[in-house]
Amino acid sequence: MPRLISPLVLALLGLILFGNGAYIHAKAWLAQVLLERAFERSIATGQAVKPWSWADTWPVARIEVKRIGASAIVLEGASGQALAFGPGHVDQTANAGERGIAVYAAHRDTHFRFLRNVAMGDIIDVTRSDGHHFRYRADSSSVVRFDASGIDATAQGFELVLATCWPFDAVTSGPERYILHATLIGADG
Amino acid sequence: MSTYDTAEGDEHPLLSRLIKVGLFLLAQSIAVMLVAFVALLVSFGTGWSATTEQASLLQPGDAKSGSLLLKEDGAYAEAIRLGTDIDITVSGPTLRARITQVFRNPTRDWVEATYVYPLATNGAVDTLKMVVGDRVIVGDIKERQQARVIYEQARGAGQKAALTEQERPNIFTNSVANIGPGETVLVQIEYQEPVHQSGNEYSLRLPLVVAPRYNPAPIVQSVDFRKDGSGWGATTSDPVPDRDRISPPVLDPARNAPVNPTSITVRLKAGFALGEVRSHHHNVKTESPDNATRIITLADGVVPADRDFELTWKPAAEKAPSVGLFREHVGDADYLLAFVTPPSAEQATQKPLPREVVFVIDNSGSMGGTSIVQAKASLLYALGRLQPNDRFNVIRFDDTMDVLFPASVPADAAHLGEANAFVSALQARGGTEMVPAMRAALTDKISDTNMVRQIVFLTDGAIGNEQQLFETVTAMRGRSRVFMVGIGSAPNTYLMTRAAELGRGAFTHIGSVEQVEERMRGLFAKLENPAVTGLTAKFSDARADVTPAIIPDVYRDEPLVLAARLDKLAGSLEIRGRVGDRPWSVTLPLQNAAEGKGLSKLWARRKIGDAEVARTLREMTPDESDKAILALALDHQIVTRLTSLVAVDKTPSRPEGEPLKLSDLPINLPAGWDFEKVFGERPHLTPTQLRERHADARNQPATRRPTPAAPDAIRLPKTATSAELKMIAGFVLIVLALILFVFNRRQPLLTDAA
Repeated sequence: MPRLISPLVLALLGLILFGNGAYIHAKAWLAQVLLERAFERSIATGQAVKPWSWADTWPVARIEVKRIGASAIVLEGASGQALAFGPGHVDQTANAGERGIAVYAAHRDTHFRFLRNVAMGDIIDVTRSDGHHFRYRADSSSVVRFDASGIDATAQGFELVLATCWPFDAVTSGPERYILHATLIGADG
Repeated sequence: MSTYDTAEGDEHPLLSRLIKVGLFLLAQSIAVMLVAFVALLVSFGTGWSATTEQASLLQPGDAKSGSLLLKEDGAYAEAIRLGTDIDITVSGPTLRARITQVFRNPTRDWVEATYVYPLATNGAVDTLKMVVGDRVIVGDIKERQQARVIYEQARGAGQKAALTEQERPNIFTNSVANIGPGETVLVQIEYQEPVHQSGNEYSLRLPLVVAPRYNPAPIVQSVDFRKDGSGWGATTSDPVPDRDRISPPVLDPARNAPVNPTSITVRLKAGFALGEVRSHHHNVKTESPDNATRIITLADGVVPADRDFELTWKPAAEKAPSVGLFREHVGDADYLLAFVTPPSAEQATQKPLPREVVFVIDNSGSMGGTSIVQAKASLLYALGRLQPNDRFNVIRFDDTMDVLFPASVPADAAHLGEANAFVSALQARGGTEMVPAMRAALTDKISDTNMVRQIVFLTDGAIGNEQQLFETVTAMRGRSRVFMVGIGSAPNTYLMTRAAELGRGAFTHIGSVEQVEERMRGLFAKLENPAVTGLTAKFSDARADVTPAIIPDVYRDEPLVLAARLDKLAGSLEIRGRVGDRPWSVTLPLQNAAEGKGLSKLWARRKIGDAEVARTLREMTPDESDKAILALALDHQIVTRLTSLVAVDKTPSRPEGEPLKLSDLPINLPAGWDFEKVFGERPHLTPTQLRERHADARNQPATRRPTPAAPDAIRLPKTATSAELKMIAGFVLIVLALILFVFNRRQPLLTDAA
């Protein structure tokens, strides 16, 4: 029997680690389901709706890239806690559809995994929680350091930036970020 | 049989092994799913909010109910709560304030609390009491170092102790050691202050919050070479050596309910029939027991400590009394306080001299919000008041500086139009490098002695290097006179009064947009009318120690305030001076002086102020002034830069071995301030980073047009999870376990087979 102890301990450790990782994905997936519901209610009521009663953030927009069938609900704020549940709207940046740059950030391995598949020229649809709908076209991408993003908060155009960690397949986090830049091409609703 | 058996025996172990491996794999994958979902549900249950990582630790943004926070390992745990009660009694020319701070410790730890708070600039703090349960411990005045040692010994020994220290003449720190779990400790300080008078209006100002100060970074060092030409020198030190002591944590008002609830009661015994009594920034309830007395309390009960409390009162009579004389006998000496308002010169008799006015406006980040609006309105009003034969210039500064015109220009329509556009376009941002702006304003390029040279300096004074500014004014004032305009809800009054005193000007406060016109009109009356100059005071019989020793010029509507220590109360006091070009004198018989309270303290406080000024003016060496201040402070029991009050409860309370935690109590941001303008982007910039940013900004060219500068690029958040790493590591471990398991199963089989 003592022979069995070491593999069992190893297996248990492995299970915990694996479970932990799986939990992050499960949380990200489940949160989006709850957020989707809250977001629908926001659009219906015109008020910020918290996805669960103790949440410290609320959905502000939905991003969709229809060509590759990707969609995510964006949360207010880009703290580590908010990013576990969905892409975050980086503080101090414009709202989608407003003059300036709207910056949304999310984890490369969950909600913004689809960014690697977005090609230049793809249409990015953003629906705000007040029901307004904006269409952006992806026009450039770059890799920058997190503290030298080159994103000018006072830009005068109507622009959108989606940011996530780079490289996509790395397993550890690094200082580099992938940013996808898009420009407003139309609005409706 | 045996063959059959053997054949079956050969097949059976292989099959069972395969089944076992399969079962194990199945069980494991089920377990993985189970663990994942149990973890998920448990996490959902315990709170999926900001505190997922460590549920016991709060972020500053989570405290909603006005609780104060105690810093601990980078995160915050709920901590000491503070309430303040202020009780002020005004008796004629002086007021006595009793400030009671209630420190409550709701935590399970023994805590040392530190609270940085402001007091009136001219206040003489003379009493410290600590109330623990039903015991009252009265503090003693001690030299600062000695008081520290006493306090730290008591803290180490587990005794309750309170320490009151002066950081600036208007910033004090209270430290309270060994507040037990669930305990409440009251700390009470008292101070004496003269009532301020201007024209026929009397006022008191009670600062409630220390505005965050801009502390210039000591990056650019200057070198002082020794005078003997030996070539050796020393780099001058940090302009704000005590930056940590005057920088308490500040709560972001957008994310926190205001803290530090404060209640205020003012018992106003003016000594004359009262007319209008007005609180400028708080709603109050007023009771009038008789026509010379009012009791003023806050209408809402308590307010957050986030702005100055300002109360003004006027006599019922048309004109305020122009003379006030008060006495007090303490020890073997008499103390005298005299208020004399000189007559104002008739404007018709004299054509005002043309003036050269340099306006300096602070557009640093601390002026963001309502302050910059008030400052711009004030400056535009001032520009409108200029006469065609005046000359003027405008300087704006943050951590950079612009001088509008190379030299002062005539106040004609074209120049005024340009100045108006310049001022209207100003935006509040950046640090507060006040010294270069003051230096530029004091640089007298025209040197036309037929013109009066005046500097009007609009700022909130939110800097920590006051002494550097004072030295600049002293060194460069020449014939210029400096008028300070304090802007905002919590301006640095110490900086304003001292800079105006050294610059031989006056100062005024503007706390709201509504006050702009009234206060600026008052200031312009001072600027446009000749001052009362060449003032001297002489006592006929008594030997007197008068403060201020050299009486400053007195501007229109301001009283001359004299304090004196006399050997006997006899004879009279004669004051002489010149109003415009005419001589003026007044004689006050000392016998008519009324009984006053706390005058000796006020006298000592003024003397201490004089010693500090003399030190700045280099009329006294630092050693001499320190000696004079120390003697006065110990004699009169006053807290100064060099003396502190300390109270120690001799009964030890904290059991040995229990750790003591330190708590820096956070303060509110002054009302109307813009958090982001002061501390930068909310999620990323800590004050340390802010300083670094300012340090960088200093290296930019000093003169720059006020075009919007390249803003800071946006910092992107961390956007990778450790999910994959964990899953891979977990998978590797499971595979490893599996291999071991299989290997272990194999061995007995092999041995069996053998």
